[in-house]
Parts: sequence; structure tokens; C-alpha cells
Amino acid sequence: MTNPNDKNFNRRQLLTRAGKAGASIAAAGTASCLLYDAKGPPRHAVKAEQLVTLPDLSVPIVTGQTMSIVQGFDRKQTVTKAIELLGGIERFVKQGETVAVKPNVAFASPPMLGATAQPELVAEVVRLCYKAGAKQVIVTDNPINDPASCFTLSGIGKAASQAGAKVILPNSHHFRHTTLEGGKLIKNWPIFFGPFARVDKLIGISPVKHHARAGASMSMKNWYGLLGGRRNIFHQDINTIIAELSMMVKPTLVILDGTEVMMTNGPTGGSVSDLKRTNTLIASCDMVAADSYGCTLLGLKVSDLPYLAKAKNAGAGNTNYESLKPVLATV
Amino acid sequence: MDSIKGKQKKLESVVSISLLSILFLIAIVVFIRQSDYDMSRFGIETAVSEPITAKLRSLAPAGFETLSEEVYHADNLFEKINGKAPLYIESGFEKLFTQRLINKDNENLWMELFVFDMAALKNAFSVYSVQRRPGVEFLPDMQFGYRTTDSLYFVHGKYYVEFIASSKSDELFNAMMEVAHNIQTNLSVDKVTEIPELTLFPQDDFVTGSPKLYLASAFGFEGFTDIFTAQYKLGDETITAFLSRRPDPQDARLVAKSYHKFLIENGGVAKPAITKALEGKVIDFYDTTEIVSATGPFVVGIHEAENQQYAEKLATILINKLSQAKAMSND
Repeated sequence: MTNPNDKNFNRRQLLTRAGKAGASIAAAGTASCLLYDAKGPPRHAVKAEQLVTLPDLSVPIVTGQTMSIVQGFDRKQTVTKAIELLGGIERFVKQGETVAVKPNVAFASPPMLGATAQPELVAEVVRLCYKAGAKQVIVTDNPINDPASCFTLSGIGKAASQAGAKVILPNSHHFRHTTLEGGKLIKNWPIFFGPFARVDKLIGISPVKHHARAGASMSMKNWYGLLGGRRNIFHQDINTIIAELSMMVKPTLVILDGTEVMMTNGPTGGSVSDLKRTNTLIASCDMVAADSYGCTLLGLKVSDLPYLAKAKNAGAGNTNYESLKPVLATV
Repeated sequence: MDSIKGKQKKLESVVSISLLSILFLIAIVVFIRQSDYDMSRFGIETAVSEPITAKLRSLAPAGFETLSEEVYHADNLFEKINGKAPLYIESGFEKLFTQRLINKDNENLWMELFVFDMAALKNAFSVYSVQRRPGVEFLPDMQFGYRTTDSLYFVHGKYYVEFIASSKSDELFNAMMEVAHNIQTNLSVDKVTEIPELTLFPQDDFVTGSPKLYLASAFGFEGFTDIFTAQYKLGDETITAFLSRRPDPQDARLVAKSYHKFLIENGGVAKPAITKALEGKVIDFYDTTEIVSATGPFVVGIHEAENQQYAEKLATILINKLSQAKAMSND
């Protein structure tokens, strides 16, 4: 704000001030150039050393105790019995361990509709983990709809919290890129990694549902929640992506809830008219086997779901669940 | 002179502080916006900008208030309904408007309204019909509408409308009916209210509410587009008849021939007809009877009938009716 008529404002001062202004502009421009990220946030081009791999959280196989099938309508009783038949929760959770429970919380939908895992089942699994001496149990998912709404409206957030679990909603810092060895689709792709990075055990909980694209959504499809980015593109090759998820995730245990299955209009359903009571709950260390049995509750055969054979061929599990001699019970 | 200089310096200081304050405020706003991470916002249009959203908001029933509103298009429909999205997208889907409504006195009573803009009545009817639940109660006041024990589904012009409810509740259902009535009364649509093909089905033994429209790949055959089906009760049998209006008789003959070939290639075996006029048009398909023929611009037939005699009887009635329709259109 210099008065041009000011006689004290001489040529030297003008040059000095012009020089300072020029230096300021140059500094700002240089800083902008240095800070400018022409590529934007990384999408598919993360360096190999920055890629992550989900830890193998499976437990050693015990012959005759790989899979249990329990008939009953009370999920708390059936899940307790199903785990007991596999050797008890202590086989899966040790004193002082951190356990991640990954229920299907895909939709902001009430539990009555069966589009998500049932809150009382999730809560019971959390309680069992603490009973076995778990230091901490976290319950998390990366839903399709708004995460907060999904955890609230499905009732899972409240039920899990009341059972003592730490509920983790996804945020941008939880996502890291991974590449599945031998994978065709999961290559340099962001996954929901953060909450699983340092856990000791992982338990998946999913309902048995019809799925318009995949035929059925069960234990293996539940891991779709771990995918980040524009994951809907994988629906174009749904059988391959589900098989790859079964290769990418090695859980400790899966709980497949067929107490009430969604027979039609899945995966969202929309009415209790889509549901059928089948009063069956499966616990398994082999999720391919669990889903191979689970599909029968939908009136399907293993051959109706190509991803099962793909997963089996990839070494993720066994489609011939009968060969595992599942332990049966009714409560 | 000194006082002018002092005033100038003061003015410079005020301007500088003002500019810095503005920059500081901008930085704070940017920081807040960046930290408010919500996956569901990515790619979702602003619901507020849609005129229909405001209209829907005004249609809320007494005692309820509107909560979240969302708009989805073909690129991100997966983010709301996941694997069910292709059904809509392949049927002419344009946009989905959703709105959650909650009872002012009881937060456990809420519902979510889904309004699918399907671009045309025929498309809306297609998605309505193929998802229709069995054993439902049709709503007499609606051309295409039904209820289940907990929900409501209907077509209003180019819109397919459905609800999900938080629980089975008379209060919720009455509120849904009020919203449905408000939509029918206040949401303007094109005057086209008839689907001509539906009037072509014979009315004797017709199962009310049974018609469906498969816009693509009916019965697993890619060439089968725009196929209307309806069910008939003959004796103890429920038989499915189908028809499709093609651009011209030549195309109808070609499509009928292609479907016949598709059935034979997939395990079907041609078998003698009981009715002479249907000779060469009857196929045994894994112990069910398929009939496919062409009459004028129509492809017509029977799908998976258990009783050949009934199948041929119904096919003959349908072909005769379509022949009359053809003759009338020629008049």
C-alpha cells in the first residue's frame, strides 16, 4: 500500500519491493510444484514392498473335528454346541489372544430380514471368545452400504459392544494393497487390512443367502467385505473372485448360520417372505466344506455354484464335506 | 506525512490479517471435510439436488419424519443392493431414490422406501414381476401391487416401489400404505398405464397376479427377450404359458426355431404331439413338456409342464387367441 506520489518512495525501494514480491511468488510456485501430486492417490500402482498379505490364522486340522452341523432354532445354543463339537472354543482361542470377528454386515437392514448376520449370534461368539481368555475381541466389516448405518440398523454394533467387543468401522487408513499369489483378479488391490493386521485369530460369521449374481452368499462370499476400491467390478467374474477370497483369507473358524435362510431375492431380500426356517448351524475350519453343505439348505448342489469347485481346485478346502465326517447334533 | 504512512501501515496490517484469517478458515473447513470419511458418499449423487427427493419427502406419513436420502445410478447401484443390481440395470434402470423414515415416538419403528426409476412401465413391471414373492396378498387398489406380512411392493408408472420395514408392525404397514397412496396420488407419471401383451393371455383358468415379464434371457436362453409368462390352473397342474411380440412374423418364426434348437441342444427330445396342429412343436425336456410355436408376430408356448395333455390344450387356446388378435389388428 504505497502512495505513488510519495516522494520518499524512490527507485531503489521500488526495485527492492518488486524483488521481494517476485521472490515470494517464486517460493510459493516452487512449493506448489514440490507438493503437487500429478498421479493422485495410488490406485493400482503400489510398489511391491508396500503390498500386504493377510496372516494365516487357521488352526491345525484335527481329524473328525473339522466341521459340525447342529440342528436347532436357538442360535446361542447351536453355536455353542457346534464349537464344542469341534473341541471347544479353547481349541481356537487361547489366553491373551486378540480375536477378530467378521460378521456379514453388508446392508443397512434390520436383522429380521436375514440380509446380515444375526446380532445374538455375533454376541454369543464374542462372549465365547472372552470366556476362552481372549484379551480383546474386535468386530468389524467393510459394508456395502454406509458402515455406521449398517452396524446400527443390523443391531450388530450394539450387540457386539454389549458383549464387550470393540466395534471397528472402516476408515481410509485401514486399506492397504495386496496381491494374491496365483490370483487372476486380486492384483495390487486395496483390502480392508488394518483391523486384521495384528490379530491372532479370525472368525467369520455369515447367514446362508440366495445371491442373484453368485447363486448363494455364505462363508466364502462373506470375505467380499474385505475388498476395497470399486469392488463391484468383480461381479463380472463372481465365481473367480469368491474362489480367490477363499485363497486370500485363512480364517480360524467360520460359522455359517442356516437357522433361517434367504431363499429368494438375495442378497438383500426385503421381506420375511424371502426366508425359510431350516434350523441348521454349521461351524467349520474348512469354509469350502461349510458352503458345500450350506448350499443344500438353499436346494442347490455343489455343481450349481462354480466357485466351490474353483476354491477346491485352488486348495482352499473340500467340497466333499461328507468325507470330513462332520459331527452332528441337535439341541 | 507520518500520519499518512501510519494509516497505510495500519490498513496493510488489517488486510493481511483478514486474508490470513480467511486462509486459516479455509484450511479448517478442508481439514474437517477430509476427516469426515464416509464410504457411502463416494460416487453417490446429492439426493437434495433431485426434485423427486423433495417430492418424496413431502409424502411422509403422519407421525413419521424423514432421515437419510440417497440417489443411485447404474454405476453405483451395487453400493446399495450389491448382487441384485444387474437385474435392474439389465431392465432399463435409470435411478434409485431411497428415503428412510422413522416414527417420531418410537425409534425402533422405521422403514426405508426404495423408488426405482425404470424409465418405462414395462421395465418397472418386469422387475416387479420377477421378484414377486409366492403366496402374497395382491392389493386391490393397485394395478400391480402386493403385500407380504411385513412389506409392500408396487408399480407406479415407470417407478417400481418397495419398502423394507424394521419389524412386523401394523403401525409401520399402515404408514407404508399411506406413503404408497401418496405416491400414487402425487407423483406424476406418463399416462401409459397398460401393458398390451398382458391382455392377450386367455382368462379361463388364469392364476391372478401370475404374469411375469422377462426382458432378457428367459428360461436361460439368451435369444429370449421380452417374454411374458402367465400361469394357469388346469386340474391339479399349474402350467406356465408364454408369449412374446416380435417385430414381424419372420422374426417370430426365427426366435421360435432358435429356442427349439436350444432345447434340443440342451438335452430336449422332440416328441409326437397329441394335437395335430402342434406336431413338431412339442419337446420332452427332462420329463417336462415344452411347446414353442410362432403365430403371426408372436412367439408362443408352454414351459416345463408336467402334463402334456394340459400343455397342448393351453397352447391351442393361447394360439387361437393370438390368431384372433392378429386378425383383428389386420382388420
